[in-house]
Amino acid sequence: MTNDVAISVRDLGKRYLRGSGTKHNSVRDIVQDKLTTLLTLGLKKRQKDYFWALSEATFDIKKGENVGIIGLNGAGKSTLLKVLSRIVTPTSGEARINGRLGALLEVGTGFHGELTGRENTFLYGSILGMTRAEVEEKFDAIVEFAEIKEFIDTPVKRYSSGMYVRLAFSVAAHLDPDILLLDEVLAVGDAAFQRKCMNFARSLQQKGSTILFVSHNMFSIKTMCQRVIYLKKGKVVFDGPTDEGLRMYEGDSRLKETYWFHRDDGEPPITFTEATIESSGGINTGVIDHGEPVTFRMRYKTSRRIEKPEVRLSFDRQDDMHVMTFSNTLEGMELPYLEGEGELVVTVPPLKLTSDFFLANVAVRENRHGKLLVAQIVGHFHVRHPTYSSTAYGVLHEAGKWSHVPALAAAAPTKAAS
Amino acid sequence: MNAAVEKAVASAHRQEQVVIRPGKGLFDLELGLIWRYRELMFTLMLRDIQVLYKQAALGVAWAVIQPVFAVVVFTVVFGNFAKMPSDGIPYPIFAYAAVLPWTYFAEATRRAATGLVDDAELVRKVYFPRLVIPLAKVAAPLLDFAIAFCVLLVLMFVYGIMPSFKLLAIVPLILVASLLALSIGMWLGPINVRFRDVKHTIPFLLQIGMYASPIVYPLSQVPVEWKALYSLNPMVGVIEGFRWAVFDRGNPDFAALGIGLGVILVMLVAGLVYFKKQERTFADVI
Repeated sequence: MTNDVAISVRDLGKRYLRGSGTKHNSVRDIVQDKLTTLLTLGLKKRQKDYFWALSEATFDIKKGENVGIIGLNGAGKSTLLKVLSRIVTPTSGEARINGRLGALLEVGTGFHGELTGRENTFLYGSILGMTRAEVEEKFDAIVEFAEIKEFIDTPVKRYSSGMYVRLAFSVAAHLDPDILLLDEVLAVGDAAFQRKCMNFARSLQQKGSTILFVSHNMFSIKTMCQRVIYLKKGKVVFDGPTDEGLRMYEGDSRLKETYWFHRDDGEPPITFTEATIESSGGINTGVIDHGEPVTFRMRYKTSRRIEKPEVRLSFDRQDDMHVMTFSNTLEGMELPYLEGEGELVVTVPPLKLTSDFFLANVAVRENRHGKLLVAQIVGHFHVRHPTYSSTAYGVLHEAGKWSHVPALAAAAPTKAAS
Repeated sequence: MNAAVEKAVASAHRQEQVVIRPGKGLFDLELGLIWRYRELMFTLMLRDIQVLYKQAALGVAWAVIQPVFAVVVFTVVFGNFAKMPSDGIPYPIFAYAAVLPWTYFAEATRRAATGLVDDAELVRKVYFPRLVIPLAKVAAPLLDFAIAFCVLLVLMFVYGIMPSFKLLAIVPLILVASLLALSIGMWLGPINVRFRDVKHTIPFLLQIGMYASPIVYPLSQVPVEWKALYSLNPMVGVIEGFRWAVFDRGNPDFAALGIGLGVILVMLVAGLVYFKKQERTFADVI
């Protein structure tokens, strides 16, 4: 391992037991399990069902490099960070870390509600690996960065969630590590504070810190990292330049046949089998330019005739904010029924959403506002714009018409009139 | 703090290279790590002390109420009704001298055993040597002990017992009690991570332990042929040591103390190996 490598990972893997059947929570469960095994003479012995949350990961990260870890939920991103920060022990392979490592997997872990902001600053500081002397020295800077000076001696259980997160992040920000592992933590607080966090991360970058960064926000990945590691089902499927990696990721993350709602009585009577998001170029890239007209095509399959359906297509931002909804009934397109297979097409006007990651959901109700039959995630897309980021510009951006009336000029006509 | 000192502190924290691997040697106990994380241990202990009596109207008074109440009950039931002998010492102070170390031991054991689960969030999200938790948990109730000790001094004054220099012996004695609590915590803690049953078992284990220790009765009441077996309970030596230190009578029971220390040593070393082995899976199963 050469001197300029900060993290060196070789064949790193982490295996977990799957399923609740093998995870015992009390002695009774174990006794029951052993008894079953005994009574059936071991014939029914439960096969241990393992899965690899991370497998055969191999890469080097040089000192000063900023690398984004991308992948869908459950792809192994957090497992990787947990192994590198020594919270969990790997099942195979090895990793070498050169330098002081700070890991922020969650902001504010270890905060105690009954303690004041001041007491929590010291507590959290030492949880993150700072000495008391270090915290003392940086205390004023921490409080100032968090903007909670007047509440520093109030128990944090009285804090708003924004204040809580600001203080926690501020302590973490002053950790000053050589290598920093971040798991989605830059996406906290209000827009102004997020901007501050991003600026802070950039200043770390300039100081030459090595940053490993998990995020669903492709915009921050793009601005922060020159390189991405793309994980899919625990394996590294791409390791290289950010643009290329994001293209691959976006290409992969289209339709997922996941219902997040359907009625308990068996399969939903209608499901969506394929969905495409077409931007003006007519191609399905998963990336939409800000202000581009878009067409959603959703193929459906029904197992019975669905009377007077109401179909809603809605967008949720990656932070679960419900952004907007299209509905065939509200928009005056009555469907008498849906039967067999077919395609629903929604052409939406130029979307002025700011740069972020969105999920598209479809929900179907019968008899207009009757019972919900299915709700399904049919795709995700990124909105791309170089300046209008959601952290700085809010949900959408529409151009306003501006004019300027200087005080003198405003006063002048009245004078002239009088 | 000047820059040079800061650098020294920073480099003390900076480990040259950390190697992360699946397995470790059975006897790789990483005790050096505990020293490096001593500040965290101290801070967690401080947190437990700070938090304990917040938003409790009686506050720190609880540190005194608990043992005093126990002694009142014992005096009525065992001292007056059952006419339990107390080696010629007034029963209330006879009982208090034993309840004092026992209360500490019981609290320290309970906290050391359940501490990992109480701090599950930390275990799941932050790296540090996990041994820091039972260590901090055993240390925190020492403050309660110190407060309750003041009540002992008051009682001694009331009953006209002159403190002798022997009273200093309670410092090493309470350390023995804390080592015992730690060694039990190192066994029960990892089991509690897997099976929450431990939490429900501790109260009655402690209840049994209390009657298996010379608290409401003197050691002289234990039949001679049972004494060796009885002394396997390390709290026997500690409690008798307390009585000796307070009442300044006879000699401390070195035999009982020696057996007890032997038991603690075995449990401590084995517990350490067991804890370190289990530690690697805490975050996965907690």
